[in-house]
Amino acid sequence: MPTLRSFKYIFILFISMLLTGPFTSMAQEQADSVATDTTLSRHDSVAVIKRDSTKHQLTIGVDIFHPIMNAFTADRSGYELCADYYMRHDVYFKAEAGWGASNVNYSDLKYATTNSFARIGLDRAIVPRENLKDWDMMFIGIRLAFAPIHRSPASFTVLDSVWGNSTGSLSGKDFLGYWFELVGGMRVEIAHGLFAGWAIRGKFLLDGADFRQLAPLYVAGYGSGDKNVVFDFNFYFSYAIRWKPRHYPIIPKPK
Amino acid sequence: MTKVLPFCTLLLGIICMGLFACTEARLPCDTPKIASLNILTVHYPTDTATTVVDTALPAAVFSSVTDHGVVQILFPQQANFTISLSPLSDTCRYYFTTDSAHQRVDTLDFYYQRSLDFISNACGFTYFYSLDSVHTSHLNIDTVRILNSSVTNNANITQLQIYIHTFY
Repeated sequence: MPTLRSFKYIFILFISMLLTGPFTSMAQEQADSVATDTTLSRHDSVAVIKRDSTKHQLTIGVDIFHPIMNAFTADRSGYELCADYYMRHDVYFKAEAGWGASNVNYSDLKYATTNSFARIGLDRAIVPRENLKDWDMMFIGIRLAFAPIHRSPASFTVLDSVWGNSTGSLSGKDFLGYWFELVGGMRVEIAHGLFAGWAIRGKFLLDGADFRQLAPLYVAGYGSGDKNVVFDFNFYFSYAIRWKPRHYPIIPKPK
Repeated sequence: MTKVLPFCTLLLGIICMGLFACTEARLPCDTPKIASLNILTVHYPTDTATTVVDTALPAAVFSSVTDHGVVQILFPQQANFTISLSPLSDTCRYYFTTDSAHQRVDTLDFYYQRSLDFISNACGFTYFYSLDSVHTSHLNIDTVRILNSSVTNNANITQLQIYIHTFY
């Protein structure tokens, strides 16, 4: 099982990748601006600095993978929605939320949980856009997530063939779960503004103290509460809302 | 991006859906559910010896005295034994003999504290124990020594050493 130290290094690696991308793009843009300025000044003309002519894009989506899974599992359910906003330099701000439940009804263990969750983070496209109309993307990203969880009172039986079985119960509890995620995936615009895409997630539980007394069978947004590291999958359909590009004033170059 | 690559990776994602969709109703429990009290029997080879050697008892019997009667566990020739403590109370009793053919039967009384432990959803709950003391008679047993008071489902830790009389 990966150690906390390895999680730390993976986290730092992803943060580095996310942060260095925009700075590389900015550096390239500055270089381009300088080149433009030089050309213009040679002709003693008016300089126009056009910083970012990309449209604004807000995408809202729904995950269809977990609702399909819900149909095949009687003891758990989960639903997820997502939204992202294109910032600059191939970086997207991402917000995701959802809800779900689990119901454990084994012969030796009975309880139920419900939870909602929220995740925020960044995605960075790893393949450059071909043009300003190209919104397809392959991406990597990070998320920070939390989930308020409610667990009902639990009853259990400790099975012992020598001494005999013993039964007991635990009172209900409300607690929070925290985790961070490393995400990779892609999405493609299958019709104007309509995207299909998937994401694979590695999830790392940050504080499992409340999970030790009785780990939830399933935490919507995270997965199996028994595990400190979980892998998950989403398949999204999403719709993009776009509006006019930012307009920057034409700045006359001082003579 | 050209559309060929995105649609290929989209297809890959649909295939991945099938892989991630494989879940079982309840996973099998892959860890021991009962805390094991592991015992090593030893003896001094001579009256003047200062070090002990493992004692492979010919046919040891540990009999737990439960609410519903005595449950015998007969072991083949060996020096390592695993028994369990009662989850129903903070004390339990075993009868012990080094050989099923012998009439010399010792009594082992265990005093401990229980703690409820959640293993996993696959395994449920169990009790772990913290040994306080072990009282014994001395027909076969010279003395009893607690090496590790923590009794969990870790089968690799020996909690108790039983010193057997050299004439067993």
